[in-house]
Amino acid sequence: MSGLVELGIMAILGLLMVLTGLALVFLKNPVHAAIAFLVNLCITAVMYLAVMSAPFVAIVQVIVYMGAVLVFVLFVIMLVNLGKGESTERFFTPRLLFSLAVVLIFVIQMLTLRGFSGEIAPIARYIHAKDIADVLFSKYVLPFELVSVLIFAAAVGAVALAKKRM
Amino acid sequence: MGMALAYTIGLLLFAIGALGVLVRKNAIVMFLCIELMLNGANVILMGISKFKGIVEAQVVVLFIMAIAAAEAAIGMAIITAFYRRRGGVEVDKAELMRW
Repeated sequence: MSGLVELGIMAILGLLMVLTGLALVFLKNPVHAAIAFLVNLCITAVMYLAVMSAPFVAIVQVIVYMGAVLVFVLFVIMLVNLGKGESTERFFTPRLLFSLAVVLIFVIQMLTLRGFSGEIAPIARYIHAKDIADVLFSKYVLPFELVSVLIFAAAVGAVALAKKRM
Repeated sequence: MGMALAYTIGLLLFAIGALGVLVRKNAIVMFLCIELMLNGANVILMGISKFKGIVEAQVVVLFIMAIAAAEAAIGMAIITAFYRRRGGVEVDKAELMRW
């Protein structure tokens, strides 16, 4: 019974996510698109918390995506000062048809590719930070350290790219 | 059933993101669409973690988030540099190698 409720919540949240994703693609104003993506990330975090029973990842999602990445993107939109009305964006061109064909072929391929063999009972408990840390700091220590190097390189690269003269 | 639903949601998010990258001209919105594709992959991985009982999937999700943050820094730096040189963020302003 609770599984059915879970599935219903998941379907509703998934529908909302798909709708906000479409809003992100088809809203002309970049600020509106960014706000739509913000709503999408918020719904994703709610889904992680409510359905996937992963509070830690939900909180990290809120902090990293909504707190850092989205604010950063909104700052850049403000900096480059996209004027009103000068956008040359036109959606209903032959390109849209072509893109739709490509994406549809991809979706059909992926839907026919999947094979879920056997039903495994879903884990009933919450996965907290401790469970993740047990895996992250034992089996994945080297990738973890490499990610720190990657982020450092990204910070240096961003500063070098954004310098005045190129 | 739950896994199939998570897979479908993630796949749809990924497809919408790919559609946005193909359709849009604004570089910032294209970047957001790439983030949407990463988000779709995250949803599938979280579904694996929940419905198959594999905790490693959440570790991979955390790695993807870290890489997405690094990518945001680099992408925004590239977009500001592009704006400074070309006076706009529409990608059809980059026409040096256009045929």
